[in-house]
Parts: sequence; structure tokens; C-alpha cells
Amino acid sequence: MPSAPNYKPGEKIATCKGYGMAVAKLGRYNERVVAMDVDTKNFTCSEIFKNEHPNRFIECYSAEQNMVSVATGCAARERNIVFASGLATFFTRAYDQLRMAAISDSNINLCGSHCGLSDGEDGPAHMGLEDMAIFRAIPTATIFYPSDAVSTEKAVELAANTKGVCYIRTARPETAIIYNSNEDFHVGQAKVVCQSKEDQVTVIGAGMTLHEALAAAEQLKKERIYIRVIDPFTIKPLDAKTIIDHVRATRGRVITVEDHYYEGGLGEAVCSAIVNEPGFTFQRLAVTHIPRSGKMCDLLKIHGIDLNLFALPRPLHPNQMK
Amino acid sequence: MSYHKPDEKTLQALKDIANKLRIHSIKETSASNSGHPTSCCSAAELMSVLFFHTMRYKAQDPRNPSNDRFILSKGHAAPILYAAWAEAGFIKESELLNLRKIDSDLEGHPTPKLAFVDVATGSLGQGLGAACGMAYTGKYFDKASYRVYCMLGDGECSEGSVWEAMAFASYYKLDNLVAILDVNRLGQSEAAPLQHNMNAYKERCAAFGFNTYVVDGHDVEELCKALWHAEQTKGKPTAIVAKTFKGKGLKGIEDQDNWHGKPMPKDRAEELINDLLSQIQSPNKPLHPQLPNENVALADLTPIHLLTAPEYKIGDKISTRKAYGVALKKMGDASPRVVAMDGDTKNSTFSDIFKKAHPDRFIECFIAEQNMVSVAIGCATRDRTVSFASTFAAFFARAYDHIRMAAISQSNVNLVGSHCGVSIGEDGPSQMALEDLAMFRAIPTCTVFYPSDGVSTERAVELAANTKGICFIRTSRPDTAVIYDAGEKFEVGKAKVVRQSDTDQVTVIGAGVTLHEALAAHDELAKEGLNIRVIDPFTIKPLDASTIVASARATEGRVITVEDHYKEGGLGEAVLSAVGEEPGIVVHRLAVSRVPQSGKPQELLDMFGISAKSIVAAVRHTFAN
Repeated sequence: MPSAPNYKPGEKIATCKGYGMAVAKLGRYNERVVAMDVDTKNFTCSEIFKNEHPNRFIECYSAEQNMVSVATGCAARERNIVFASGLATFFTRAYDQLRMAAISDSNINLCGSHCGLSDGEDGPAHMGLEDMAIFRAIPTATIFYPSDAVSTEKAVELAANTKGVCYIRTARPETAIIYNSNEDFHVGQAKVVCQSKEDQVTVIGAGMTLHEALAAAEQLKKERIYIRVIDPFTIKPLDAKTIIDHVRATRGRVITVEDHYYEGGLGEAVCSAIVNEPGFTFQRLAVTHIPRSGKMCDLLKIHGIDLNLFALPRPLHPNQMK
Repeated sequence: MSYHKPDEKTLQALKDIANKLRIHSIKETSASNSGHPTSCCSAAELMSVLFFHTMRYKAQDPRNPSNDRFILSKGHAAPILYAAWAEAGFIKESELLNLRKIDSDLEGHPTPKLAFVDVATGSLGQGLGAACGMAYTGKYFDKASYRVYCMLGDGECSEGSVWEAMAFASYYKLDNLVAILDVNRLGQSEAAPLQHNMNAYKERCAAFGFNTYVVDGHDVEELCKALWHAEQTKGKPTAIVAKTFKGKGLKGIEDQDNWHGKPMPKDRAEELINDLLSQIQSPNKPLHPQLPNENVALADLTPIHLLTAPEYKIGDKISTRKAYGVALKKMGDASPRVVAMDGDTKNSTFSDIFKKAHPDRFIECFIAEQNMVSVAIGCATRDRTVSFASTFAAFFARAYDHIRMAAISQSNVNLVGSHCGVSIGEDGPSQMALEDLAMFRAIPTCTVFYPSDGVSTERAVELAANTKGICFIRTSRPDTAVIYDAGEKFEVGKAKVVRQSDTDQVTVIGAGVTLHEALAAHDELAKEGLNIRVIDPFTIKPLDASTIVASARATEGRVITVEDHYKEGGLGEAVLSAVGEEPGIVVHRLAVSRVPQSGKPQELLDMFGISAKSIVAAVRHTFAN
């Protein structure tokens, strides 16, 4: 990218829009960048790229398997830098093609929007709740889960230059910009977004749940309870060192919270990283069962991954943790 | 038999219902401030004729096995489906205004929380395959006269799985199946590729073996006639390709771009509704659906048990994939409800053993895994059958969206994946399943069986048949020794401790091929006086956490997991999740760390660090610490 992201802290932009703006910007300065979508360009915001570079956008219509194959074909012999997007959950349709893309040593970049509960009223058919699990199980994959538009732009830039299958998980709702435009991002490098000397527990969230964790930090501050909040930025590879160092500093207490099922996602990734550290107490919050249609804020509450960590029946109050 | 045109009163009543359905759709989506009213409006006459003229069903008992079945494959038109059932008297009209609310079963896309929904839709392209399963069941298993109707969108027809289903339907001569294509020209973000090129649709459907009619999708009389002809057609399924307009009946919105998924603006809704109301001539003339022709018996839900115990002796050598074939055949002996399908791998998965014994209950689905899973789901609806679908475990990745939707559909389908892991050897990574445990663990309703010998495989099949939700059984290619007595009892979520002593230093957990590697490691280490405890989890999900934790505590907190799978999402991470909140337990995980290659099975196990040699080294390493 020839210039830094153009957002101001506090501005509200959905990460899916951040993706669209970023890919369009990348395409402005590099003719090899092409994009494609599965008749969801108005949701994924890839239409921003299409509007600016119409002859480098391929509408693949409602055929996810073929889109991934076409992406792999376009990227072969390094003819193009490819960004293929759709709703996060519909990459499950193309999982065999993704599996084979790794065996093919492909460098395709994928973006799945409307991850987790964020599609709310449409219901479970549209909710991506297992995408981190399936991408983590792809050996050559890098998984970006940016939490604001600045880091989304950086993710797009990094993905374009990172070998292997890159997956960027974006969300539908608008969220605040939390990083300065000149913040440096790297694959496998987490960010500590909130800390103090009195932190009693480390909370790791991403996307929507990072913002929930920040809001929880604000709320708990009023009760003189302080929490450290980490944004992993990439789920794979995960910045184990930063996480371990900070969890040690918060008396070994860590909570992960994700807009995803329990299996295979952020929680299991963190667990894998820290399991053999002595003296760590670890709690995971995730979606436990198939959700239903409803407003996103209601769904986050029902599944226990909303702001109110404090009010949960589970013994998660930092003072109650052993 | 000749066609009798419905009388004018009936035709007018059908037109009126169509407009009522439009009005309901507008009101519903306005109340929820989200949804797809224009996608509903193009289908109004289709729904009216299907629900109030053509289909035979008991409106107060939607799930009755005698009823004609309807699948709304274009699931985003849910509001009009709900409206149809309201007009039929099954839903209270006032409930319609609770569309998409957190406490209403009228969700954004249909799920089987509702009695009139057999399979959840919303991920496009999956309804027709399920309809094929239902139609196949009706024609060949139930041998009943119920018919199956599936409505698809035109944008949806870009999905390859639609064409897998079309090929299947004509190959199996499913003349009790009707596919209705609502060709309203406009997709989600732009026009569908074929727009209103009706001839292209006609040629494609005909090329796939369908008896095809192109009709004016808003002309109720044409629809009545085409659907009547469909019923008379023998030996071929029918496709009704309906030319429609998105937003039909909505002035200024009909056939316009950019209205997909948008409720009517508040300041226009009332006017649009009044306009539709003014076209209704007999608002109070009810039309009642015809009742089904016969009474199909409810399914017998008695648990199905093997008639005889497994016939293996400890030490016999048999691959778990072959043991599956034997087990499936035995289950087929035990109950006529057991049916099986495969994706042209039956000689490798051994489902051909079932086929030889019960040929009329085996469905060859050819190389079309998505459709095979959909067909299995369709066959299992309304409990008509207990279905087992098999292929190489790696190829269930091809059908993962279908598996995901099967869970949302509350399906009880059983899926069996063979040739897992690097242990398949020379065929190489494209045929090796190394991420399937991750895939299936992330499905909320799934039970994951990973039996390690012939006896436990047979019991896994028996348990799967009687366990609700999706069941996945992971089988292996190589021959392995039988390690359990034929009388051994197995339960979901219960691990087996297969080696233990009073001086065990480490707990080693393996499964399938790696369980046998662990046993070999055990014997090797025992020679030097080093004892290890070996656990066979039997089910990876649910995992027997208490046995594992107890064993870990008895071995000073030392656990090694070893799996023929990638590091992420499999046995190792499942064990971590189980013990992660217990203090003092250290877990060392052995798994495949990168894309493998072709080679001899044992060479690959060594190369990727999951063989007996690797386990011995890992035990020595943790013991040294």
C-alpha cells in the first residue's frame, strides 16, 4: 500500500467495509490485484473494488466451489494476486477446494464477511461459526481476524504478500477505529489494547468480541476491577509469546471470548498455546449451540459473549477466579 | 385421463390467495424491518397453486408421512412459506408479524423448529438434493404415492449441487419429484447470469433428463395445468421453469434492480398493500388443500440392535473400513429401515457388502458428495429411514456446508469416512483426511466415533444408528488387530483404558491407527521397565474427559496424544479442551504438522512423527523431564 490507512480513532466502520476499501486501494496501485465474489459483493463490500476496477472483478455468481477454483487458477504461475470474498459461512461450501488449494501450494486470499452471530435476523444458515476451525486445519493458512478498519487494511496488505492460503474474517456491524493509522502490524503479532499495572485477568477477543471486551474493561473500571485486553490480530499463527507473557502478568488468569463455536477456534488456539504453562487458569466463552434468528445484541447475550462478562452465571468474575 | 381446467371461481380464488400471500409477506418483513419481500412476490402464484390446488396434505398435521412434501430451497422466501401455512390454518395470522424475532419460531430462513419444515434452507442449492432423497424414499422405500415439490430460485441455479441433484433425479427416474424454478431474473447483487433466457433453462433441464415446461409463473391456470401434467408423467421428474418478476405486484418495484432483501419503505407499504387488496375479488372464499390419497404408517422408532455379536476374535486382522461394511450389512439384516449410500467408492469403503446383501436399500450416488449427503438427509426426514452415507473421509470436506446445514436441519444422518490420515499411503495427500475431526467437532449436534478395531467399529455403527444428531464414523485403510472381546460393551462418550498398571508414567491417547502404534510403543517401553497407560477414546466428541483426567492424575499429570490428523481441531485439541481447566496436567501432542506426501504407510507414520517410534521418543522425553 502506498499510503497509511485513512481513518480516525473513534470513527465507526464495519470491518467488512474496511476490507472493500482496502482491496480497492491495493488494486489502485497494483495491476495484478484481482477480486471475485459469489453474488454477495454488496455484503462483503467487494463491490467497492468492482466499481473502481471493473475489468479486474470477476462475478462468480452463487457458486462458491467454483469461485475458489477460479481464484486458484487465476493465482497460478503468479499471474494475479487474488482476493475472493463471500459470507464467512459459505466457505464451508468450498472446503474441499480449500483443502486442495493448500496441497496445490496456492497463494489465494479469501475474505469471509458476516462472521459469527452478526447476521442476526437471517438466522443460523448465514452465520459463520465454524470457519476458524476449518481454516486452522489447513496447514498453509494464515488467518487474520482484524478488529477495526485500520487493522483490516493492514491485513489485506499483509495477505497479498504472504504465501499460502490467507483468510480474513470480517464482521457486519460498524465498530470503532481503535488503532492509529501508523500502527505497525505483523502476521503472528498480537496487540495489547488495554492494560494497567493492576490487571487481574487477560481477556482475549477478536472482531466483535474484542469490542465487547473493551466495553467490559470500561464497565469494570468503574468498580475498580482492571482487565488486560489482547487483540490477537492473527489467529494462525497465534502470538503465543505475547499471550503467555501477559497472562503471567495477570496472575495466570485468562479468558477467551469468540463469535464462533467452541471447537477449533480462538479458544482452542489459545489453549494449544498455553496448555503446558504452569499455574494458568483458563476460561473460554463461545457459542455453544446452534443459534436462532434474532437481533445480534440479543444473540450475543443469549450465547454469553456480550459485554456483560460481569453478569454471567458462570464464575468468571475476576475476583472469583482461583 | 384428461386435464380438466379448474372453474373460474377456483382460478379467481387462487389469484386472490396469491395476492394475500404478497400482502402477508410485505407486512411480515415490514414488522421485522428485514427480509426478502420481492423474492416472495415473484413466487406468489406458484405458492398459491401448490398449496391450495396441487399438493395433497393434512394442513393440521404437516409432518404426516402421507403428505406431499414441499421444500423451499430458496429459503430467503421464508415469509411467503409462513404466509401459505397461515392461509392453510396451521399458523395464526397474528404470529406472522413476529417474523425474525428472538422468541418466534418464524426465523429468517426456515428451520425444522416448524413442523412444516423438513430440512433447513438458506444456504442455496441444497433443497433439491434433499427433495431427491425424499422422492427416492417415497418411490422405492415407502412405495407410497406422496409427491415431492421443491422450489428453487434462478440465482440459486448457479450452485453446482443443484445440477448434481438434477442428474440424480433423472437417473433414478424420480417421477414423483417436481422442481419449480422461480426465474425472476434478478439475483442478490445483480441479475442472474441467464436473466430471462427461458430457452436456456429449458434446454439445460431437458438435457439433465427432466420433463420440462416453461410457463408464465404468474398465470395460475398455466401452473395448474403444468403441475397436473407433471403428475401424469411416468419415468421422469418434472421441471417447471416459471418466468416471473421479482417484486411482482408491487408498483414501481417489480423487476427493478436493488430490491433484493429490502423490506418495503414505510411510506410506501400501505399504498402497495391497498393496491393488492383492491385486486382481491373474493376475500372470504377459503380454499382447502386436498387430503393425501392413503395412509402411510408412521416410522417404527424401536432402537435397532445387531442380531448377533461381532464375530471377531482378539488378534484377528481386519481394517476398520471393512468392519464398517460388515457391520452395516448386519444392521441391514436387523432392520428394513437401514439404508445406505456411497459416492462410487463402495469397493473401498466396503459399503458394497451392504449392497450385495440388501441391493434394494443401497443408493449409488456416484461422484457427487454434496448430493449424496443431501440425499441421505432427505431419506432420513420424518424418520422414514436410518441412513448411512459413506465415502473417503477427505471427501466429506466437499459437502461441509451440507453437513453444517444438516445440523441446523436437526438431521440424524450417519456419515462414514474411510481412508483417514497419512496411513493410506501411496495415493498421497489429496486422498488423506487430515482435517475431518476438526470439521465434524465444530458441528454442534455431531457425535464423532473413531473406533480402533473391528469389534468397536461394529458397535459404533450400532450406536450411530440409535444416536440422534449427525454421527460421523472415521475408519482407516490398513488392517489392524482386533483388541476387544466380542462381548465388550461400548457407549458414546466412554473411553477404554486398554493398557494400565500400577506404575504407569505417562498416559498415551491414540485412536485408529495411532492407537495400535501406542500399543506397540507400550510393548516396546515395557521391555525396559517403563509402563505407560494407553487410552482409546472411542468417541472424540463427546470426549470422556473424566476418564482422561483421572488417568492423567494417576500418571503424574503427563499426557501424550497421537493422531493421524493435523494438529488443529482434532484429538489433541479435544483433549486439551477437556483438561485445559485442570491444574497440573501437561499435554504433549503428536500430529501431522504439514501437508504430507505419497509413501508407504509405515514410512509416513514415521516421517510425520505419529508412529510407535515417535511415541516412544515422546514418552522418554516427558519422562526425562
